[in-house]
Amino acid sequence: MIPGIGTLTQDTLWCFSQVKGTIEFGTTEADIISTVEFNHTGELLATGDKGGRVVIFQREQESKNQIHRRGEYNVYSTFQSHEPEFDYLKSLEIEEKINKIRWLPQQNAAYFLLSTNDKTVKLWKVSERDKRPEGYNLKDEEGRLRDPSTITTLRVPVLRPMDLMVEATPRRVFANAHTYHINSISVNSDYETYMSADDLRINLWNFEITNQSFNIVDIKPANMEELTEVITAAEFHPHHCNTFVYSSSKGTIRLCDMRASALCDRHTKFFEEPEDPSNRSFFSEIISSISDVKFSHSGRYIMTRDYLTVKVWDLNMENRPIETYQVHDYLRSKLCSLYENDCIFDKFECVWNGSDSVIMTGSYNNFFRMFDRNTKRDVTLEASRENSKPRAILKPRKVCVGGKRRKDEISVDSLDFSKKILHTAWHPSENIIAVAATNNLYIFQDKVN
Amino acid sequence: MEVQKEAQRIMTLSVWKMYHSRMQRGGLRLHRSLQLSLVMRSARELYLSAKVEAHEPEVPLPTGRSPDPRLHPPREAEAAAQAAPPDGEPPSPEPMDTQETPRAEETPSRCSPRPAKASRKRRSSSLSDSGDAGLVPSKKARLEEEEAEETPSEVPDRLQPPPAQAEGAFPNLARVLQRRFSGLLNCNPAAPPTAPPACEAKPACRPADSMLNVLVRAVVAF
Repeated sequence: MIPGIGTLTQDTLWCFSQVKGTIEFGTTEADIISTVEFNHTGELLATGDKGGRVVIFQREQESKNQIHRRGEYNVYSTFQSHEPEFDYLKSLEIEEKINKIRWLPQQNAAYFLLSTNDKTVKLWKVSERDKRPEGYNLKDEEGRLRDPSTITTLRVPVLRPMDLMVEATPRRVFANAHTYHINSISVNSDYETYMSADDLRINLWNFEITNQSFNIVDIKPANMEELTEVITAAEFHPHHCNTFVYSSSKGTIRLCDMRASALCDRHTKFFEEPEDPSNRSFFSEIISSISDVKFSHSGRYIMTRDYLTVKVWDLNMENRPIETYQVHDYLRSKLCSLYENDCIFDKFECVWNGSDSVIMTGSYNNFFRMFDRNTKRDVTLEASRENSKPRAILKPRKVCVGGKRRKDEISVDSLDFSKKILHTAWHPSENIIAVAATNNLYIFQDKVN
Repeated sequence: MEVQKEAQRIMTLSVWKMYHSRMQRGGLRLHRSLQLSLVMRSARELYLSAKVEAHEPEVPLPTGRSPDPRLHPPREAEAAAQAAPPDGEPPSPEPMDTQETPRAEETPSRCSPRPAKASRKRRSSSLSDSGDAGLVPSKKARLEEEEAEETPSEVPDRLQPPPAQAEGAFPNLARVLQRRFSGLLNCNPAAPPTAPPACEAKPACRPADSMLNVLVRAVVAF
């Protein structure tokens, strides 16, 4: 627990800090951000997009001259992580869209991250080079080979400083292990293994071994006609390297212990909330599908996101969540239209703050919501260019659900469903958040007094 | 009646979405296909129950509207499974999802499960121009046979076929959809019968447009 931060009291004001991305209309689909992730110190912020690119931002050192302005994030490295591929055997195109990025904890000067598309996970090493060897014997300064007969003396090459260059190299490629589409990757707390999950299977990998992986969960029925649920997300426990959870399209979460058996088809714990019959509707089944599951930093709780709510579960209580937060309940009566325009299939993510006291998730109209678990207060904020003046305080937004609409409120029918915030990230120890709005990345910080 | 119409509309929409999802980049998504089939199943159940209620005073119900419940998930999952080419499985018949959905519709009233293999064998006839039966005459004949044999068993279970259906005795939904769809999809593949995602959610579901009316008739005719 990190004291003193992250409590969303009335005193916490969020300010605009930065926005990355282009302003012009007609966004190319390749620029749409598909994942956002801070590294373990919060120094780096990585984004992946539909075009298969990864962009890493680095926080600049805070200068003594500008104490009121916290370090800004600037582009540190950009590289093409995945390319479109074609599976000739099945006549299927494999999208290059980056589904998830996960950082490894830093163990030396270089940074390592995992990035994945639908089929292949890659381990990238991002390192800095600020020195260059000069004074070779066999080649000249431009790198051309010298005629050995012209060499009369020998010298030892020396390292001279050069302009900082950040290079990203793929160190491992973990391919051909998933028949279905990968939806999650999670680094284990042992820092030696990680898992990748697709619709029906979860595989455990060792970072050093790319041609083998262990299958630890397999829910594929013998007869595909009996398929009733798929895996939607999976994550390792933050401290116990033998424990992980995975969520399903039926709104259930299973906690598994790898010590129990090699194949974790039988769960150790099963989290499911009985359905409220009064809420039963035509689309009940699909809106109960969990789109994201996240352990709290403490490891004591898990948070799940389904279409309309965020729930917090205590690992010690399986029969119902301990907290349920309505994200946008006003959409419950609009499910039919949302089915028509495919919005009902949107997969929203959710995040914890560093002290596990506040949770955040996205919504439509570029709104995102924060819920304080202690005070039970919640706030709706908007990521928009209009609120993009430096250090401008974000005004809470409100959706009018019926009756008289007040001046600052927006009615449900005016919401723009093409502007959705699916991916957000919270700095591990400070009140800095990154919010992906289509092709733009917004960074907000709390007001420094 | 409203409920029935709405259920029909949702069913048609779901079929369209399933068909369209096959053309997406990245291939069929298993989760999406499963969700679509769940909605379709709910819509079908609603439609059938609304239909039964409407007909209740006239004709007494036969043995239970819903037969073996195990048939429901398998049929729907089959639709999903067929819709999603099971990667790594023996080659899944791609166009068969439109063939399979009518199977899913028809199952509740037929207690005998229809083998999937029979539908797989019809692959080539549906792949090619639906009007060109000359390629595989024997398979087409079997299709007609099955429909003919379906008809007598359908009638008692269905209580009363919808009146004024020009297509005859329960034509295969997929064939009808292909005939109607192919024009729609070929001329404007990017134009779904639904609103584009940018549009706001309307408070009430929109009435079906003229294109959909055609499809709704096709759905009714099973």
